[in-house]
Amino acid sequence: MAIIERETEVVVPVTVTPTSTYGVLKRPVSATGWRAWVFTVDHKKLGLMYGATAMFFFIVGGVEALLIRLQLAAPNGKVLNADLYNQMFTMHATTMVFLFVMPMAAGLANYFIPLQIGARDVAFPRINALGFWLLLFAGIFINLSWFLGGAADGGWFMYAPNSGPVFSPTNGIDFWAFGLQIAGIASLTGAINLIVTVLNMRAPGMTLMKMPIFTWMMTVVQFLLLFAVPVITVALFLLSFQRNFGARFFDVAAGADPLLWQHLFWIFGHPEVYILVLPAFGIVSEVLPVFSRKPLFGYPFVVFSGAAIGFVGWGVWAHHMFASGLGPVSVAVFSLTTMAIAVPTGVKIINWTLTMWGGKLYFSTAMKFSIGLIVLFTVGGLSGVTHSVAPSDTQQTDTYYIVAHFHYVLFGGAVLGFFSGFYYWWPKMFGKMLNERLGGWNFWLMVIGMNMTFGPMHILGLQGQPRRMYQWTEARAGEGFFNLAFWNMIASIGSFVLAVGILLFLINVVITARNPTRAPLDPWNSRSLEWLTSNPPKEHNFDVIPTVHHLDEFFHRKYEEDPESHTMRQIATAEEIMAEQERNADKHIHMPSPSYWPIVVAFSVLVITFGMIFSYLIAAIGGVTLLFASFGWALEPSTAPESDFESNSSTPGTALDSVGNS
Amino acid sequence: MNHSLRHSNLKSRVASVLLVVGKKYRTLFGVAMASTVAAGCAQNAPQDTWQPKGPNAKIIDDLQQPVFAVAGIIGLIVAVAIIYVIFKYKDRGQPIPEQTHGKPALEITLTIIPALILAVVAVFTFGAIFKLAKTDDTEMIINVTGQQWWWEYDYPVQNEFGINQPIISSGQLVMPVGTKVLLRETSRDVIHSYWIPALNGKRDAVPGRVQTLRLEADKPGLFAGQCTEFCGLSHANMRMEAIALSKADFAKWVANQQAAYVAPEKDSLAQQGEAVFLNQCVRCHQVNGLLRADGTPAIAAPDENVWSGAAPNLTHLMSRNTFAGATFDLLSKQCRDEVWNAPSSEIGEKYLAGVSENCLNQKDLRGWLRNAPAMKPMYANPTQLVATGGKYRGMPYLALSEDDISKLVAYLLTLK
Repeated sequence: MAIIERETEVVVPVTVTPTSTYGVLKRPVSATGWRAWVFTVDHKKLGLMYGATAMFFFIVGGVEALLIRLQLAAPNGKVLNADLYNQMFTMHATTMVFLFVMPMAAGLANYFIPLQIGARDVAFPRINALGFWLLLFAGIFINLSWFLGGAADGGWFMYAPNSGPVFSPTNGIDFWAFGLQIAGIASLTGAINLIVTVLNMRAPGMTLMKMPIFTWMMTVVQFLLLFAVPVITVALFLLSFQRNFGARFFDVAAGADPLLWQHLFWIFGHPEVYILVLPAFGIVSEVLPVFSRKPLFGYPFVVFSGAAIGFVGWGVWAHHMFASGLGPVSVAVFSLTTMAIAVPTGVKIINWTLTMWGGKLYFSTAMKFSIGLIVLFTVGGLSGVTHSVAPSDTQQTDTYYIVAHFHYVLFGGAVLGFFSGFYYWWPKMFGKMLNERLGGWNFWLMVIGMNMTFGPMHILGLQGQPRRMYQWTEARAGEGFFNLAFWNMIASIGSFVLAVGILLFLINVVITARNPTRAPLDPWNSRSLEWLTSNPPKEHNFDVIPTVHHLDEFFHRKYEEDPESHTMRQIATAEEIMAEQERNADKHIHMPSPSYWPIVVAFSVLVITFGMIFSYLIAAIGGVTLLFASFGWALEPSTAPESDFESNSSTPGTALDSVGNS
Repeated sequence: MNHSLRHSNLKSRVASVLLVVGKKYRTLFGVAMASTVAAGCAQNAPQDTWQPKGPNAKIIDDLQQPVFAVAGIIGLIVAVAIIYVIFKYKDRGQPIPEQTHGKPALEITLTIIPALILAVVAVFTFGAIFKLAKTDDTEMIINVTGQQWWWEYDYPVQNEFGINQPIISSGQLVMPVGTKVLLRETSRDVIHSYWIPALNGKRDAVPGRVQTLRLEADKPGLFAGQCTEFCGLSHANMRMEAIALSKADFAKWVANQQAAYVAPEKDSLAQQGEAVFLNQCVRCHQVNGLLRADGTPAIAAPDENVWSGAAPNLTHLMSRNTFAGATFDLLSKQCRDEVWNAPSSEIGEKYLAGVSENCLNQKDLRGWLRNAPAMKPMYANPTQLVATGGKYRGMPYLALSEDDISKLVAYLLTLK
């Protein structure tokens, strides 16, 4: 149970600070300044740190993308040489997938799942902190390779045997494999933590079918992670053993079949696609109802189609391998399953459209991004259907057409979803509204830039420009309207328009931070539980753990239906509801204490992987540190003696009581 | 010509659909309209996937065109629905609507409709998959082997085509028209992918496996392709060209490939070049019939020097139009264009003329002999060869003198 009590803002019941702590080292009891972040186990602080880390890597991956587009703007590009270009596209994908989209989703999940289910923290706060630090160190570690002999250069799916020591003699792929291994641990711990949180810590009355849709989609994602990450873990171990210890898992001369890697990678890799895009689906499914003033159309359909994607997503991996020689029967089967998965995805598009149908639409920036997602994701989804037609895919795969497809899915889907979430939840996270006017520019430049960048890639691909080529040649460019030169140039210009759009967002963040105006309590007339608290939320989230009666509980506390006209009439304002909460605040709220150990454990893992590449002595030092830190973690006092506290037996039963200490 | 026009029109239509879907606002409608008008056709687009030139590519194209059209229409419907909703249900002060949670009957209907459309697509897809996989009526076999960063073509003995000794070539796949050719693909190092868009989709060349791909060309012509599985440093410089010749022209080509070695004239520059070749190049490159000074056959041993164990066989080099993985032309720009732009009926004659001294692309060939790794990124620097035990991946810098280069060029020109 928790160690320390902290005072609430309004009602000050009793301030109790433990007078002593126990364990190998003292447990930090309270913290300010940088310590408040480094040793925190608070899900909201961790969520923000995940978000900041992801945003940083978004910029890194974006710069890599701009360099790629500069190189390809004209034939025989000279901005990068072949070696550097191969590293650049490998790291662009790796960064965007593993260090931007996944951590950003993890950050939003961390921040909003406890708030949306009416809990005061996640189930395992220290493991939550460990997950973040591992992810941060993984990101730094992978990118260190740029300065230590060259980054990974095998493409993000790192096909064997091109990833072997003979064909990629630098340490880049070792950094990549070990780094992703660390990121994998972060994903696994996060997945287990959030699954337990969602299953055990929902507020009273919140059945699974009253759970906010974002939480639902994130829960599906956590299950996907739980089963997908172990597969890539195995594959990465095989790769690392091959590269570092002379194992021959993918060595054809030793009788291996290099397609083994492809199967392992894509059994992870295809669920991974849904891991990347379902969080955005969740965000959009929150934003559209709020700004349509209508519940999500067909909530059960959206939930079950999300779950269906989560299941069928496991049966489509070989559609990445239609050209690899699977044989016609396998190709036909995977072609069919791929078409099948288009159905639940299409259901979502239909439900979003019908959510807006008959609504009272307010076009905030968040809403614009969500509508943008519907349209652009549809383009990506439809080009995906053309890939499911396997013979057609043998023309398109590994060309720019596929690059266009997955950027419409991932940029049009995941990224626009995130930006919708940023604008929607910014007042919740920071207590200030992002500038809506700048937001409009941000939106339009991003949408125009993205269509200029990725739209022409459909043409480039159908004209036969393969991906992953560091130069293209005029000899193959063709003439007329569809010539490669023109559309490559448009795509490159578009990428800079896109970059300006994103820059506007960063400027908006700075402007907002400097603006002293506080956001109102309920700026969007929202519907779900995360708005039943202050902006930003108090450290303990809720003064009173709410009892849930409705899907869209918060909305139904504000409005009731007029029995005659069936329109909604307001019965309470957010301020009144908040005041009511504060009047009835729980007297004793126990929150978990900060801890030194998550960052120490994470750092020792980093030292071990560093040692695996450079010196086993360093690895041994890391191992000893890890052992020591694990003992420290285990022996850290989780329950201070009763004498340190006021009796808490009078506290009403709340979800908080089950906030453990991992 | 009509044929390609039809496809270009279809393409422009779908492209405009994509643009409309993607950009969804009126000003951008303009772009889409403009594209429809401006798009005369995709001319001289050698790797266009929408201009099939053989039955296999045609099967794919016939399947994909309706799918693109249906996808475009559905995208348009979604876009129109969204635009309609935006304008119709914009907040104009109407009351907050009834909190309806959905209409299951409507949703089930809207789920079944796309499922049915996809079921229809699946039926045709299955048909195409099995048609394309058919190999039992194959008329000719060519073994294709990929390695970093070029393709080797090996024609096993097939007497019905006059091939009565194996032909080993590289850079350009030469095949007879109207013949069902089966490529048996494999690789000597990493995974590559063989792709001639005008003739068929792609098939990976996987080391340790032999996989098949059927090609057939309707008419004589030149078709471009490109390795499409990322295969390392010079992936971008691993190209291919397929040349379909009329059956008579193909027979001439076969006869030339099987012609005996003709030693250069005595005391010519070419003869000195042969000596340089024997001294340097033959360590990796085979020229069939070449003899050493002592009269023994000069057998190349690329496996001792190159990781993949192979280097292009240069017998009859000048019958090909390209070198170094089809990255560079052996023909000068003007002569190359003459072949590429020749009408189908003349292409065989022009191609079979080979590379004459006047048409030789001296600049690139000399540059290549001078310092190959400077022209095409390769692992040929001795300091980079730790992982391969000293073997090259690609052609190294040979420190040839300008004199030797001139001699070699003269010699190579004799390899008709």
